[in-house]
Order: sequence, then structure tokens, then C-alpha cells
Amino acid sequence: MQLRYVFSELRQGLRRNLSMHIAVILTLFVSMTLVGLGVLLRQQSDIAVRYLGDELQVTAYLCRDRDPNPSCAGEATDAQKQQITDVIENNPEVKDYRFESRTEAFDKVKELYGDERRDSLLAAMSAEDMPESYWITLNDPNEYEGITSEVVGLDGVSQLRDLRDDLKPLYEWLGILQWGALGVAAFLVLAALLLVANTIRLAAMARRREIGIMRLVGASTLYIAIPFVMEVIVSAVIAVVLAGGALAAFMYFGVQERISESISFMPWIGMEDYTVALVVIAILAPVLTVIPTLALTGKYIKV
Amino acid sequence: MRRVASVHVIRFDQVTKTYPGTRRPALERVSADIAKGEFVFLVGASGSGKSTALRLILRETRPTSGRVHVAGKEINRMAGWKVPRLRRQIGTVFQDFRLLNTKTVAENVGFALQVIGKSRRDIARDVPATLELVGLEGKGDRFPDELSGGEQQRVAIARAFVNRPMILIADEPTGNLDPTTSAGIMNLLDRINATGTTVVMATHDASIVDQMRKRVIELVDGRVVRDEAQGAYDVQS
Repeated sequence: MQLRYVFSELRQGLRRNLSMHIAVILTLFVSMTLVGLGVLLRQQSDIAVRYLGDELQVTAYLCRDRDPNPSCAGEATDAQKQQITDVIENNPEVKDYRFESRTEAFDKVKELYGDERRDSLLAAMSAEDMPESYWITLNDPNEYEGITSEVVGLDGVSQLRDLRDDLKPLYEWLGILQWGALGVAAFLVLAALLLVANTIRLAAMARRREIGIMRLVGASTLYIAIPFVMEVIVSAVIAVVLAGGALAAFMYFGVQERISESISFMPWIGMEDYTVALVVIAILAPVLTVIPTLALTGKYIKV
Repeated sequence: MRRVASVHVIRFDQVTKTYPGTRRPALERVSADIAKGEFVFLVGASGSGKSTALRLILRETRPTSGRVHVAGKEINRMAGWKVPRLRRQIGTVFQDFRLLNTKTVAENVGFALQVIGKSRRDIARDVPATLELVGLEGKGDRFPDELSGGEQQRVAIARAFVNRPMILIADEPTGNLDPTTSAGIMNLLDRINATGTTVVMATHDASIVDQMRKRVIELVDGRVVRDEAQGAYDVQS
């Protein structure tokens, strides 16, 4: 297949249908930005759950060496831990539990403070300074009194943290924002698909003479479809670049410069999460536009 | 894919075609064999089924019943992706030329080779040779609307023939041309036929048919009413 042919057709097609392509690019740009935001919020929820536990959890911190709680007589012993494990396992309110070691706890702190602050703040700290803990997941967030009263009284337990009231609104908001972004994105994606369909129809109309001749002389369907597919791919790529830029701006001005400064009790999404969102939209946008294009060119240029 | 005797490049076997939404068939139990190298006129009034017959050969449509063989293949059961390959063996010419006005004569002819993936070298070799064959040497750089109707039809024939197809289909190729110009076009089609290409031409033009004395297949209301070698036009209806 001659590249020259494909590119000259592509240039012509983009010029001929410029306003339609701009409409496709803008709707795809906004919808892909929203999809990206949805992905980022999802990542943020994961981070929050990993860091704070989900709304069904209570956390029991064990005594450590020189524990501020006077009832702690030094570090929790293996026998005490065994007893705590037994109590948790036998309590009907408990669905599940996880033991967090000192190293895991220390890793989380490192993550929270980030590289630059860690060096100064945590220089004197080590994993040994962190408490061990049990992360207990409840069957029902409203039924917790049995397990809390039982665990609090056990030897080796320093304190019980119950973040259910604090976390619930946070997760609710993250959820609302996430699904809101994806929901609006779904409508815009639908609009983008209809615009793609119209663009293809116009392009097929404009080129119907050529297409008729191509079919008659035996050009393959793929050969006929390629200029159309290239047109929408170009639009999709431009939209992805714009959406990537918008998400980068959100990450920089929104998350890095603002939220993570003002709400610093947990880590926030970073470069890796941005990359994930970018990959998602970079795959989604071309796929979403190419599939209807192939389906429609199949219809309009049927051999 | 059933093979048929290779002397027949086109074979209609009890072919009936009824278009959706109509009761009367456009073609009804049509059977005809066209051998390699034959020149066949398809005559009949408008609506007699000539165009449907040509569309069936090109597999633009499929028969409702019966079988159509083209180039040794039963094409009504042919998979869609194989159709382009079939069409590369068939050249097609229309009454309205169907040229691309934004392309030069040479580009119009070359387009047929380009879109089936022929190399630029092949195109540079075959296009001038074919233009010379149809009598348009030196006019490759002109645009279609700078040419007369007869010359435009020659471009269309060049485009249909440049890939050296086994079959040339012509649907009223002289319909828009005056008698003198038409005679020139017929002469050209005759020469193409002499290279071994089977020519099937649908026409209304009685004088051409009478003059050429080739095989005539006459259709009336979708049925073959006459199939004679070296026939004349004299349509029955």
C-alpha cells in the first residue's frame, strides 16, 4: 500500500471535514479528561483505603517498647498476640483481619512524607519505632462494640483507632466524584461516537465517486477504509494529547500544589497514577473511535 | 468452490433475481454461457434486466436462486473478502464515464492500479501503454473536463482495461455519444475483444448491434427471449 496515497487522502479528508473533526476532538478531549479524572479518583480511593483502611475497619495498635500508654508493659509478646488473634478470629462481628508488621507501617510513613522530607524528619526513625497493628474488617460498620470492647481490654493492645466516622464522608465523596466523572464521560463518549459516525458519513459521501471506482476495480475493503480510520485516529490522538495535558495540569496545580499541601494526613496520587490514567485514555480513545469507523465504513462501502 | 469448464468465463444457471420489496423478478430463470473471448450484446428495453445481469456478474448483488459462475468460480457463494479479487479480473465501463475530475487522465487510469496495490513502476509502465492503445497518447496530463465525451469514454475504457482483465463489462458505453464517436468506441472495444478479453455490453443502440454482427442475448421482462450468434438488434417488445 502506498503511503503517499494514504497521507494525501488523509490530508484532504481532514481539511474537507475540519469542523466535524474539531467537534470530535473537543468532545473526545473533554470526555477523555473526565475518564482520566475518574481513573485518578479511583487510584486515590485505593491509596486512601490502603493507608487509612476502609470504612468497615477498625485498627488495633499493639504495645511497643516505651509505649506512651501506661497500661503497656513493654512490647507485646507472642503469647499476647496469639490471644488477640484468637479473640479476633472468634468474634462474630469480624469479617476479616490483617496483621501489619512494623516494616509495613514504616513503609507507609515513608510514602506519606515523600523522599525529600523523609530524609530530615525520619532520619532518626526506623521500623523498630513503629507499632504493630491488626486491621480488622467488620461485617457491618454499625456493629463494632463487641469487638472493640473485647480487644481494648486485652493485654498488649495499646490503642484502638476507629476512623469510620471520618472516612465515611471521604469515601462517599471520592465515590461520587469518581462515578460522576465517569458518568458524564459516558454521555460525552456517546456524543463523540455519534460525531464520529457523522464525520464518516460525510467523508464517505464526499468520496463516494472514488469509493465506487475503488470497489469496481477491486480495491480491498481495508484499503478503502484506511483513510477513514487514519482520519479518526488523528482526531483521537489530538484529543488524547489535550486530555493528557489537562490531567497533567490537574495533577500539578490541583493535587501537588494544593490538595496534598492542605490535606497531608495521607499520601496523594502521583506520577505513576497519572501514567495509569494516561495509558487508559490513550487506549480508550482510539479504540472507541476506530470501532465505529470500521463498522460504518463496512456499511457505507460494502462490497 | 466448484470449478466449471474453463472455456466459459461467465455462466448463468437458472438465475432468478427478485429485489426485496418487489414481486416481479428482475431476472427469471436465466441461463446463458459466455465463452472466453466472446463479444456479447445484451439488449432489451429499460427494466428488462440487463443491468441486473451485469450487477450479478460483478457480484454487486446476489441471485435469489440459481447460480452465477464468473472466471470459473461460483460467485453467489463467494466470501465477501474474495470479491475484490474477482473484480480485478473484470473491467467495467459506464454510460456516464465515472472519471475523477480532480485527477488527470493518467492519474485516473493509474488509480485503478494504485488502489489494488500495484507498484509505481508498474503504473508508470502500464498507463502510457494503455493510453496509447485507446488512442489517447499525449493526453495523459489533461483533465477529464478538458476532453470530449468520446475521449472521456476512452479514458474510462483505459481504466477498465489497464489491469488486463479477463472480462470487460460495458453498460451502455455509447449512450451519451454521437454515432461517429460511438463507432470509434465500438472499434476500440472490438480491438480489446481481439486481445482475448471477453466483452459483455448492454446497449439500446440498434445500429451498433446490427453493424457488429456479434452474439445477441435479448431480455424481455427478465427472461431470455433470444440468444443468437451474429444477431441483429430488432427488439421484440
